[in-house]
Amino acid sequence: MRTTLSRSSWTRRSAGICLAWAALVLAGCGEGNKAAKGPGSGKADAAKSPLPLVGVSLLTLDNPFFRVIGDTVTSELGKAGYKVVVVSADKDPARQSNQVQDFLQQGARAIILSPCEAKAVVPAIQEANKKAVPVFTVDIPCREDGVKIVSQVATDNLGGGREAAKGMIEALGKAGGKVAILHFKQAESCRLRVQGFREVIEAHNQANPAAKIDLVTELEGGAAKDVSFKATEDALQAHPGLRGIFAINDPSALGCRAALEKAGKADGVILVGFDGQPEGKKAIREGKIYADPIQFPDRLGQEVAQAILRHSRGEEVKPEILIPTKLYRQADAKDDPEAR
Amino acid sequence: MGNAGMGLVLLLVCLGLSLATIDRVEPTGAAAGEWLAQETISRFGDQARVLLVSEAGEQSTQLADGFSRAIGRAPALQSGQVIGDPSDVRKALGRWATEHGRLDAIACSPGMADQLVVREAAMLFPALGQPEILRPAGSSWPRFLGRQNLLNIMGQIAVIAIVAVGMTLVVISGGIDLSVGSLVGLSAILTAAWIQWHGGGENAGTGQMLLGSLIGIGVCALIGAGTGSLVAWAGAPPFLVTLGVMLIARGTAQQLTGGESLAHLPDRFVWLGRGADWGIPNAVILMLVLYGLAEWMLRGTVFGRHLLALGGNAKAAGFAGIPVRRVQVLAYLASGCMAGLGGVVLASQLKSASPTYGDGYELMVIAAVVVGGTSLSGGQGSLLGTLIGALLIAVINNGMNLLGIDPFAQKIVLGCVILLAVLLDRLRQR
Repeated sequence: MRTTLSRSSWTRRSAGICLAWAALVLAGCGEGNKAAKGPGSGKADAAKSPLPLVGVSLLTLDNPFFRVIGDTVTSELGKAGYKVVVVSADKDPARQSNQVQDFLQQGARAIILSPCEAKAVVPAIQEANKKAVPVFTVDIPCREDGVKIVSQVATDNLGGGREAAKGMIEALGKAGGKVAILHFKQAESCRLRVQGFREVIEAHNQANPAAKIDLVTELEGGAAKDVSFKATEDALQAHPGLRGIFAINDPSALGCRAALEKAGKADGVILVGFDGQPEGKKAIREGKIYADPIQFPDRLGQEVAQAILRHSRGEEVKPEILIPTKLYRQADAKDDPEAR
Repeated sequence: MGNAGMGLVLLLVCLGLSLATIDRVEPTGAAAGEWLAQETISRFGDQARVLLVSEAGEQSTQLADGFSRAIGRAPALQSGQVIGDPSDVRKALGRWATEHGRLDAIACSPGMADQLVVREAAMLFPALGQPEILRPAGSSWPRFLGRQNLLNIMGQIAVIAIVAVGMTLVVISGGIDLSVGSLVGLSAILTAAWIQWHGGGENAGTGQMLLGSLIGIGVCALIGAGTGSLVAWAGAPPFLVTLGVMLIARGTAQQLTGGESLAHLPDRFVWLGRGADWGIPNAVILMLVLYGLAEWMLRGTVFGRHLLALGGNAKAAGFAGIPVRRVQVLAYLASGCMAGLGGVVLASQLKSASPTYGDGYELMVIAAVVVGGTSLSGGQGSLLGTLIGALLIAVINNGMNLLGIDPFAQKIVLGCVILLAVLLDRLRQR
């Protein structure tokens, strides 16, 4: 761009870097080739073709929950002779749509999704439908019209919410009291959790007016520690006599706990979370969270892998598979290695 | 020149990826069907017993037709066909086992050959004997260079690349625009909201869709002009002004719909994002036209010269009589406009709009601009470079997906590419 002198030197240097880069890329591909061909390449025999591919695009891989799902699917389908590629959509619907396109391009035989956005994933699923590649969802369902999904595997969040309420009732005992909810309204799963929670609390209030539980407020906790921390501080200001808080996941519950500790109210407020991630289980073991309805990401992964195998075998597959939660208290954490 | 260097890098990366993705590409359609029929006859004679199985995809009818045509030459052959799910195949195999007994071969489409019902057919239905599984022999070809894959790459980067047109102009003027990602989301929401709430939803006409898109783009252009005015007249640092606008635009988009997404859009709304009337996606044509126009504007018009002069040295440009403030406002206006257009294209591609659209795009767009050789200190750069930069990012992303590289490693690689580009930029400056 500037003088001839600097230009020639820049060209030489950049050419060097380019070549180094190309060498790197080429070295990488040499390996890929060998792996893809394997023994006896070149024959047209059916048995020698590469492993069938299953593409998995999950909401995010920053959350250990989804990593467990990805790992379980990989090992379960790996045993059955599939190659599994797991990618993270990083909560970006456009990125997820691209990933589905790339899977179809690679000739994937099945696709597993945790949609970032049920509506935005529709065109991508339709593209897979057009190519007759079966689509499955895990953890997050897609209930839009015009898409064909073989099976949707998810946690029974409604039932989980009910269990959370049972835990709360049992912990509050005869006195009842004021309870707040830390919500994450944009997720259907969390709406179901809160719905189940409210159902059981209302039924309890009708049956035991003396031990009435008052759901005083429902705040946005962002399903994250920082947002929940602030929301809890505000809730404590607005309702000083708070006796319980239901947080819709573990990060939210832990953020809430931090705010309770800061306000010196950690012992007076019962905290019920959701999920049963290692961090949450540890908090339950230490008595920081009273209980969690725990989810089973490994079972979600197993079920969706089984659904693929059943479908491939031509067996019947249920369109919706719900995995129940289990209420997990301090006693359960005592001999759980994950809670350490 | 910088463009030639980056172009070379892009070519080398493409070459590397082509070699790395060489794979058995399966034939489809009639050719595959004919091959299967001939293979059956040559292996098992013209009295073979064969079942053709295929999934009900786009090309399955051609496959079946090709097969029937070729098999018509051997009338003594006993054959059947199933086009459908693995469960249909299972039923058909069961029926064959009870009605005819032994089966010599299962002629499969490539997809069906991998299904367990076929692989385990002999075990599931012992009456079939040991049927041979025939699948069309593939030829070796880099998956990366598949026609559809190359079109996918272009389509996948279209939104980022379109937004990068405006960003290039702003960066050349010596500024930066962090608000573009949020504007993409706002524009998508405004467009979809107009069509869904005022234009008749799924039954909206072309006029309403166009009007909605213009509203989305227009509002973003106005916001861009506002940003530019704050930078030009208030002398506020662009980094902070556009950071503020970024939050305002994102919040507005979320508030308009209460965080929900909008999807009651007509089927024809996807024309811009997913349609391909002339062999390549319409969004890609739009992108290329915009790059042509902008490059011409930068090199061939007074405004372009002013922009370069302004970025080179604002004070000198002012003394030379260049309307510095007006040029600045126009650059941000163009950026807002392109972000708005990007939002419309994204909404069209995904046939829906969510306030989260475009989250983090500003960084990808800036990366494309910088990788393309436009200097962040302003005064020099080119649209062609930005296009190459955007393509490079898209190609690397796509290639890593095709190679099945670990998602965390993908980010590291992309980061290294950006660092490398910055390094090259410094080398060139010396």
